[in-house]
Amino acid sequence: MTDALRSGADMTAASGGAGGRSTAALIRRDLWANAVVILLIVGSMQVWSQFAPNYVMPSPSETASATGTILGSQFGDILITLLRLFYAVGFAMVAGCLIGAAMAMIRPLQPYLKSLVVINTGIPALSWMLFAIFWFKDAETRIFFILAMILIPFYALNIYDGIRALSTDLVEMVETFRPTRLHVFLYLIVPHIVPYVLMTTKSIIGYAARMTVFAELLSSNIGMGARMGLAQNNFHMDQVIAWTVLLVVLNLSLQALVAGAERLLLRWRPEVVVR
Amino acid sequence: MTDAADEIICLKGVTKRFNGNPAVEELSFAVRRGEIVALVGRTGAGKSTALHMMMGVMPADSGSVAVNGMDPFRRFRDLRGRLAVSFQTDRLLPWRTARGNVELGLQILGVPAAERRRRATQWLENVKIFGEENAAKYPHQLSGGMRQRVSLARALAVDPELVLLDESFSQLDHVTSSALRADFSALVRRLGKTCVLITHRIDDALEMADRIMVLAAPARLMLEVTVSDERRADAAWRERQHERIAAAMAEGLEPAGAVSAAAGI
Repeated sequence: MTDALRSGADMTAASGGAGGRSTAALIRRDLWANAVVILLIVGSMQVWSQFAPNYVMPSPSETASATGTILGSQFGDILITLLRLFYAVGFAMVAGCLIGAAMAMIRPLQPYLKSLVVINTGIPALSWMLFAIFWFKDAETRIFFILAMILIPFYALNIYDGIRALSTDLVEMVETFRPTRLHVFLYLIVPHIVPYVLMTTKSIIGYAARMTVFAELLSSNIGMGARMGLAQNNFHMDQVIAWTVLLVVLNLSLQALVAGAERLLLRWRPEVVVR
Repeated sequence: MTDAADEIICLKGVTKRFNGNPAVEELSFAVRRGEIVALVGRTGAGKSTALHMMMGVMPADSGSVAVNGMDPFRRFRDLRGRLAVSFQTDRLLPWRTARGNVELGLQILGVPAAERRRRATQWLENVKIFGEENAAKYPHQLSGGMRQRVSLARALAVDPELVLLDESFSQLDHVTSSALRADFSALVRRLGKTCVLITHRIDDALEMADRIMVLAAPARLMLEVTVSDERRADAAWRERQHERIAAAMAEGLEPAGAVSAAAGI
């Protein structure tokens, strides 16, 4: 172990965390920074709302009132959006992992699958939305299709790269026990790709939430995106901002959820701190 | 001359080339059941190639390799549970605890969970890793010596007839390596396992093996030394053998038979 690289446990023991600060102190610092930024935004809204009509910029109190109304009467739309997001991310995760694993493990298929996935990454999200509107009548199918098509390549490419990064030493070690292909898949490949699955989920979850809302705006009458579209059509800027606030909260909650899953599933991994 | 039924490994005229360059040439030797044999040679002497052929992950270009009477490459799966390998580095799965790593081979053999756990705990204790706390540690929480002990426990837990050690002690410091070697050879002798140790360290071979075979590039047998406990305890004998083996490793010695005969072994 070099001086520059030490495990997180070592660093915590030696100096109480990165840069000599404890984790709790770093969390307090981040919370304080977030509070300052939020206060500045609220302050700006308050000032702007004094000089603009409320269909351009409502006051923070009007926005808070709209948020309360939404939480009271339209909470179901939030749940629907969340459900759509979870279904689509779950499916993309499984399908993407299988495609990525097939790309890495079934050599004759590799060039074709890789080509398919790379071409898919070049298709804009908007094209998938328009295709879905033409191809499917049912709103749920449309949203599911759009999200799956957008998200699968992220998982497939990352899992493909993850499997290729598997240590040949570990493969050789497992092979000394004369395993079947299923054994290798279950005991070596699956645990090895967990960090790649989590990393991909962490990277795309915010994007996926935004794409869900966008797809709802174009394809559905219910859900957060649909409600935002309705509020915009009725010039209810307070509701548009309220939905936006809720989306930010939702996004942060999802990020926290993935971070929690990461802490739980990757507790075996030592944290390296670079000084 | 050994009885063929008593031989667990038998190499006859084995040659292996990479891009036309011989790594192993006309190598022949046999290992009897219950024996600890060391294959000693310098880096590039072809020891690891010979080991890979015994493991069955690489076929020979010519000649024959038999482990338990079977070609380990062609009948790869038939040797499941009969052969285990420990490497130079521990190669522990980082996402498994010490116990989880020892359970790996047992899982592949289909041993039920409760029995697996019991046997893994027992094997950890056999390699002197005691207590639930240590068994539940992940590899990065263990010292280098402890990781290597876990690796040896993982190999032995499947109760193999043959254990192949590929420089398994050479990356540890002298004190740790010496303690681990002593513990391991005592354990292997007690259990009556056959063991082939690949090493470039003459001391490791003299301390552990019943028989030492010295290879020189391209994996030709240069010298064979038989070691007994009495000889092992004789410092002067050890020193003489150390010099002979070192000279043989440096190549250019006569073929094995001539050297052994001349030395009265």
